[in-house]
Amino acid sequence: MTSRRGSHSPAGFGKSLPERGLLLLVLLVLLEGSVLPLGAAGSPDTSHHTKAGNSAGNGTGNVTHKKAFPVLSLDYHHIQTPFEISLWVLLASLMKLGFHLIPRLSGIVPESCLLIVVGLMVGGLIKLAGEEVPPVLDSQFFFLCLLPPIILDAGYFLPIRPFMENLGTILIFAVIGTLWNAFFIGGLLYAVCQIQPANPSNLHQLELLPCLLFGSIVSAVDPVAVLAVFEEIHINELLHILVFGESLLNDAVTVVLYHLFEEFSEVGTVTVLDCVLGIISFLVVACGGVLVGAIYGILAAFTSRFTSHTRVIEPLFVFVYSYMAYLSAEMFHLSGIMALIACGAVMRPYVEANISHKSHTTIKYFLKMWSSVSETLIFIFLGVATVDGKHDWNWTFVTVTVILCLVARVIGVVGLTYMINKFRIVKLTTKDQFIIAYGGLRGAIAFSLGFLLKKELFPLREMFLTAIITVIFFTVFVQGMTIKPLVELLAVKKKQEAKRSINEEIHTQFLDHLLTGIEDICGHYGHHHWKDKLNRFNKKYVKKCLIAGERSKEPQLIAFYHKLEMKQAIELVESGGGVKMPSAMPSTVSMQNIQPKKPPLAKPVERALPQLPKGREEEIRKILRSNLQRTRQRLRSYNRHTLVADPYEDGLGDLLIKKQKMIELEKKIKDMNNYLTVPAAPPDSPTMCRARLASDPQAYHTKSVSDSVPAIQVDLASPQSPDSVNMMDEFRRAGQQQQQQEDQGLTMRPPSRPGEAGGARDPQKLTRCLSDPGPSADEEEDEPFLCWFLSRPKQR
Amino acid sequence: MGSNSSNMNHIPDGQQLLQDTGFSAAQIIRLYERFEFLDKDNTGHLRPEDLETVPDLDMNPIGARIIGAFFPPGKETLDFGSFVRILAHFLPADSNRTRAGAQQEPANSTTGKLRFAFQLYDQDRDGKISRDELLQVLRSMLGLQVTEEQLQCIAERAIQEADADKDDAISFDEFRKSLEKVDIDHKMSIRFLR
Repeated sequence: MTSRRGSHSPAGFGKSLPERGLLLLVLLVLLEGSVLPLGAAGSPDTSHHTKAGNSAGNGTGNVTHKKAFPVLSLDYHHIQTPFEISLWVLLASLMKLGFHLIPRLSGIVPESCLLIVVGLMVGGLIKLAGEEVPPVLDSQFFFLCLLPPIILDAGYFLPIRPFMENLGTILIFAVIGTLWNAFFIGGLLYAVCQIQPANPSNLHQLELLPCLLFGSIVSAVDPVAVLAVFEEIHINELLHILVFGESLLNDAVTVVLYHLFEEFSEVGTVTVLDCVLGIISFLVVACGGVLVGAIYGILAAFTSRFTSHTRVIEPLFVFVYSYMAYLSAEMFHLSGIMALIACGAVMRPYVEANISHKSHTTIKYFLKMWSSVSETLIFIFLGVATVDGKHDWNWTFVTVTVILCLVARVIGVVGLTYMINKFRIVKLTTKDQFIIAYGGLRGAIAFSLGFLLKKELFPLREMFLTAIITVIFFTVFVQGMTIKPLVELLAVKKKQEAKRSINEEIHTQFLDHLLTGIEDICGHYGHHHWKDKLNRFNKKYVKKCLIAGERSKEPQLIAFYHKLEMKQAIELVESGGGVKMPSAMPSTVSMQNIQPKKPPLAKPVERALPQLPKGREEEIRKILRSNLQRTRQRLRSYNRHTLVADPYEDGLGDLLIKKQKMIELEKKIKDMNNYLTVPAAPPDSPTMCRARLASDPQAYHTKSVSDSVPAIQVDLASPQSPDSVNMMDEFRRAGQQQQQQEDQGLTMRPPSRPGEAGGARDPQKLTRCLSDPGPSADEEEDEPFLCWFLSRPKQR
Repeated sequence: MGSNSSNMNHIPDGQQLLQDTGFSAAQIIRLYERFEFLDKDNTGHLRPEDLETVPDLDMNPIGARIIGAFFPPGKETLDFGSFVRILAHFLPADSNRTRAGAQQEPANSTTGKLRFAFQLYDQDRDGKISRDELLQVLRSMLGLQVTEEQLQCIAERAIQEADADKDDAISFDEFRKSLEKVDIDHKMSIRFLR
């Protein structure tokens, strides 16, 4: 087994990054291709070796003649399976890295295509090496390990509102559309196979039931493929949820049809009773799946209510309950996908109200990570399995399948839309229909289902697999690659970067109430009426059970408002305080725990402050600059599954506090000969600290609100970086001084004393600040804010 | 339903309504049935008390406002024509038929819908949503669950965000602008049964 590692040497350091990336890619593929067979080949050798060693050892026991103690030995067999799995995962991740290093490529070709190609290459390499390709897309492995993370990720982050609003449409597409596809394709395929009586081929032995089974396998739109392709084209929310929702919900139909036809194929005949049972079975599968998922979801939500003392394992509950929901559903042959979606969707609002922010971030990142790796692996394995499997290429069968898939989809979508539009308020246009039809991608689920077919019952299994793979390749490559330009061409509405404003939220709720009222007046029990009833039931009973403590009463608007404030505070920090907010700023920083209270804002207070000598001013600048350095957090916007830049990283919270304090400080110095002028900080968000402060258990304690002015405290018990401690302590001490209270953390009070001689306290505070200049100023980065900030003194 | 012009004879202004609003004859008949149902004392007019008997409306945070919208200040009774005209705001916009003599702006266009909603905020009809009016709405929607300070903050922020001309109130255009991302047509339409 020759090592191919030496065959490629990355020559020329002057090459640009994309080329280097490409080279890296090829290297990795070769590496992978060479190591895997090495592993496979190595294991028999080493096992021989160890056996020989053992026998020699035994021999020694009998004969007592000394053999050298093996200082270093190779035992690949011992670690083979996990090692290979890790290698595959590593390959998948490195591929992902590589693709994003080459921007041109990822712009033209969707990731899924590239991954399939990589899989093909790796499979080809392994085959060339003469080794047996590991059966990677084993159906068991696929359905139990690879698929759940993707579906859970989709279900947990499913946008509920558009999903529910379009539920009728989605269900019709999923159920009736898939049924239509299955029967159309299966039936016509059978018909086509039966023609050409003069030229009998093995097609003629194809009976109706296997054809229908094949039809049902190949007709289902695949969520993995849809996700992979659609997430790159940023289409508007409605179309996205329609196609995606359809791909999720048609699982129930697929499961039922598959089992139905499989059973019937064994028996050979179908009776009316069977059909009726089939329909009942469908209802059981779908509703049962949802029920199982909902039960587990509620269990998870209930469990999360008590996790306030063990925050670390919160994400675990979410994952384990969801996975168990999936497995339980699969146990009863119910729809596992629907169970998973139901579980994620049901538990999310309650769990999010209960868990700490870090757990939330953990869950989000883990889900994205797992689903990303899973998806990558699936596509690579698809490529490998293509190379591996025995293929039986039959021109007629394959081409007819592909054509029929397209035709069936188009007719199905057009026909159904015509019916659906009669009931929809916002009709689906032709453009929409085209995208829906074009977005019907098939993927690995179809392949796995085909793989599961038993050879004895289906002698033409290889032919089926070949056809399935061809359809998958066709949809993923052709449709996947061309959908983006088509979307541009047809000028389909893109996803709006929705930054919801508080206005929107208020007005939307208002309109909800309005419409509910109007519906009541008309006596029309429509959409709004039931939604309102559900909300009320939710608020009255369910939330009380499932959400811990005070959060159960927090209205949605308030939660939204807090979130918004938080985001804004973070944005402010990032932009270095350049955001000008016309509103006032409280004179002290506000922190908040669970109790959502907030003092009123006050207009900017003009304080008469003593002059700062120039030297002091320099010191202040140094302090500010050095501390503001750390606010520049790295925000990488993760491309995958619309995971937006998440500024919620450790330590940001303290920096926010610091920043706020600094801004307040600057404000106080504002009047000093116009040396330093900074804009007012935005009103502080109560939830800011709730999320940010490091040690969660201590950060939350509800303080009984006895004062008329709520004063909230927060524990700065977090392990902070040594640099920042000084500053924090300064502020804390200053704050405490100001408050003359024995508060543990920073407290807030309304700036209710405009005429106060703040001057007396402030220089004290200032000197305190200045006497401890804080960490040594790092001069590398010049923040834009600082540049602006520092240039201000010139203006008068 | 067959030709309904004959069935509509007993409906006051039936033909006129057919023309002015976008309702179909069947819908108008159905609405008339509902009107008669609500009109307990059979006077041919509705009074605020009649509307208050509608179940669930009292649980609606802005129930009183909605009833108020049907009864503009000064009018104590509501006849069928006005009833239908107000409800016409909630027709889906693409069921507009070309009507002879259609007004400039049909009630169920986006602007018409928004204007209706705006008037619900703007109780004193001065064309602006002042801070107080916004506070009232917030208070009624959020009720006792939040403190006064929070309401103030939210109202403050809302006005800041929307107020382009800095007059400390939200005008109709600003209102419309803040809702530009929302699909008003979808959000403010009821599927009236045929």
